[in-house]
Amino acid sequence: MCLVSSAIMEKPQKTQEEQQSSPQMAAPDGGWGWVVVGSLFVSSALVFGLIRSLGVFFVEFVQYFGESAQAVSWITSIGLAMQQLMSPVSAAASNVYGARPVVMMGGFLSGLGFILASQATSLLHLYLTMGLISGLGWALIFTPTVASVMQYFTLRRSLAMGLGFTGVGLASFAFSPLFQYLVEAYAWRGALLVLGGLSFNMIACGALIRPLGKPKVVVKAENSTKLNKCSSLFSRICEGFELALLSHRGFLTYSVAITLFNAGYFIPYVHLVAHSRHIGFNEYQAAFVISVTGVADIVGRVASGWFSDLGRMRMQHMLVVWTGLLGLSLMLIPVAVVYSGLLVVSVVYGFCAGAMTPLAFAVVPEIVGMERMLGALGLLQLIESIGGLLGAPLSGWLKDYTGMYTLSFIAAGSFLVLGMLVTMTLPYFWSCTAPPPPSPSMKKSQDESIEDGLLKQTLSSNSVPEILCPLDDIPYSDKE
Amino acid sequence: SEYLLLLTQAKELPAQARRLCKINDGSLHAQLLEDLHLSETTPSPQSDPVITTRKVVSKGQNQVTIEELAILKPQTIELSCYLTDIPNNPPYLTGYWTKDGKGIVNSEETVNRTNEQYILKKTFDILAKDLGNYSCIFKEIQTQVTFVLDVPVIKDKRDKPIVSYTGDSVVLACKLKQTPNTWNWYKANNTEKGLINVTANPLNYKIFIHGNETKLTVLNLTEEDSGKYICSAEFDIKPSESYIELKVLSYIEPLKPFIAIVLEVIVLVTLIFLWEKCNKPQNDNISAGENELCSEQISKLTRDDSNGVENNTARQRKLEH
Repeated sequence: MCLVSSAIMEKPQKTQEEQQSSPQMAAPDGGWGWVVVGSLFVSSALVFGLIRSLGVFFVEFVQYFGESAQAVSWITSIGLAMQQLMSPVSAAASNVYGARPVVMMGGFLSGLGFILASQATSLLHLYLTMGLISGLGWALIFTPTVASVMQYFTLRRSLAMGLGFTGVGLASFAFSPLFQYLVEAYAWRGALLVLGGLSFNMIACGALIRPLGKPKVVVKAENSTKLNKCSSLFSRICEGFELALLSHRGFLTYSVAITLFNAGYFIPYVHLVAHSRHIGFNEYQAAFVISVTGVADIVGRVASGWFSDLGRMRMQHMLVVWTGLLGLSLMLIPVAVVYSGLLVVSVVYGFCAGAMTPLAFAVVPEIVGMERMLGALGLLQLIESIGGLLGAPLSGWLKDYTGMYTLSFIAAGSFLVLGMLVTMTLPYFWSCTAPPPPSPSMKKSQDESIEDGLLKQTLSSNSVPEILCPLDDIPYSDKE
Repeated sequence: SEYLLLLTQAKELPAQARRLCKINDGSLHAQLLEDLHLSETTPSPQSDPVITTRKVVSKGQNQVTIEELAILKPQTIELSCYLTDIPNNPPYLTGYWTKDGKGIVNSEETVNRTNEQYILKKTFDILAKDLGNYSCIFKEIQTQVTFVLDVPVIKDKRDKPIVSYTGDSVVLACKLKQTPNTWNWYKANNTEKGLINVTANPLNYKIFIHGNETKLTVLNLTEEDSGKYICSAEFDIKPSESYIELKVLSYIEPLKPFIAIVLEVIVLVTLIFLWEKCNKPQNDNISAGENELCSEQISKLTRDDSNGVENNTARQRKLEH
């Protein structure tokens, strides 16, 4: 359940900049921020951890409705697709109403979807309830929660994200036996009902997200002097969706990179077990490989978050390192024919996959600035869904065509390496310090984000930012 | 290790032309020769002998091998055990047969060595009562091969009961590798079996039979429908049975944890908002009186959160003061 305890709260020292900046964009970097991290932990557990453990239900659905496994697997596909496609909508809604009401509504919708699903009499009902309604709920939860955590933290952003995302890994371990028990005790209908109730806990998680200031679009509307209601409404919508980002070179580059990452990222989750069985290991060995990968994933998230916050390397460089290693390890998986070799490669894969996740999100404000982060997150999720939609069927087709998983792993690895190369073309990538963020459209002093204040200090104190220098030269914490 | 099983002709089949069919049963090759003109003691099919090269350890270790054979109808079977690679190659071995652990009288034989092989064969007439475990045992080297003769066993039994709800419908299924003559479903009441008759109860039951699988659909479930259901595959020799347990719940069952969780969420959300409201006035310099009120509200709620009504009235009384 949601962590309301104050046991995890810390009070790190606040920097001068943070105290001087407006309360609208204050990043406490601690305090209530850790409660929001806890909220992200529970939300990611109840969204992605839940999705990953739905396999128990699929067996029941196949038997009850008499449909094929492929038809039943569409439920997750629709749910995930809704979560990613509706992300811009959710980001826009948060820009207008603030994160808290949107997340609470999302929690309600995701629970409602499961409750309605428990009354389903056909597979179509399940598509509509578990797929559409719950998927929409998940979209309304995920993006604003991630954005809120990033708003609450600056210096410890990656660590906070890493900690928050560990919810997914831990939930995957805990939920499978729990769901199995629920299905055996109450059949799938009762189990779905109980899951709907569990999903309602995300309403409480949403309640924990105390707003740091007024939502962006509301502020802009207050500050604008437009008298014409129609055009202000339209501009509010446009700003809500952050459509201006589509012309931003850094954002476009990053969205291409992350689409490529997405194409390769999920393939091993789907194919690793089958591949292990295929090359001759038994069920328990294959399951152990997955467990080990899962543990390495969790450790990787936290470790990468903590390490990135130490500031020895820029986040974008670290992202390149992790994705490069991930791509390499993926391409090495088919090479490992000995069990111990497969275990080692899987551990490396799990660690790098986990390490990459918090950075992939935390790097967004660096590229587009804190102001537009929320909309950027929404749009990114929408664009990266293309990668997910393309990657899995392509790998499945490769496996059917060649009869082995080798090519699909190599394809996944090459997607990641390609994404890594694209990441290297980001603006300001080859400099050793963080670039100045894109200036917001309204140049009022109130709207200056933390980055502005901190980076102006950095640029004045450090010389020659354009030379390609060794990556561990200038520590991040010099800004203070 | 594998040993060869020979099936010879079945006497009970009606007179037909000589037929030769090969049945591959997993790792075992078997041949059934149906030719009533052949005498039963001349097994001369073109056998595919699967002679093992397994070495029997001469230190007297027990080698025990088990083969499962599915018997669908009454027949006569010749079981053969081939042994190779016996150390010391004694000129002969003594072997005998047992059924279900008990020795069969007059089954002991002296097996001469032929081309490094020792062959022990025996013919058995198998009826329903004759199904069981047949073993050929070689005394001197303590080697044993067991043939398990039984009707096909229905696998993938669920050891947990199937759960469903009143008013809902449920499908119980049984499947076999071989196709029986027909399938029957029974409902077990304590020790009795009652046959389920679809024509008598068309509104409650539907039975679907398709070759080697069958499905029983029970509609309009009530709590009395809980219990053990038995599916029976009827073969000539004997039926093969398996049971499934059904549990019918009322809708209240899952509602209990659901309502508990929803109440917990409501309490949490209320607590969170109240806590925030109480902390906020501290930043805005509102009188301490309201703070006291807030903390008292919270302590009241945390003390007994199941008595929501009482709390509300208590708070109203406070505000009126």
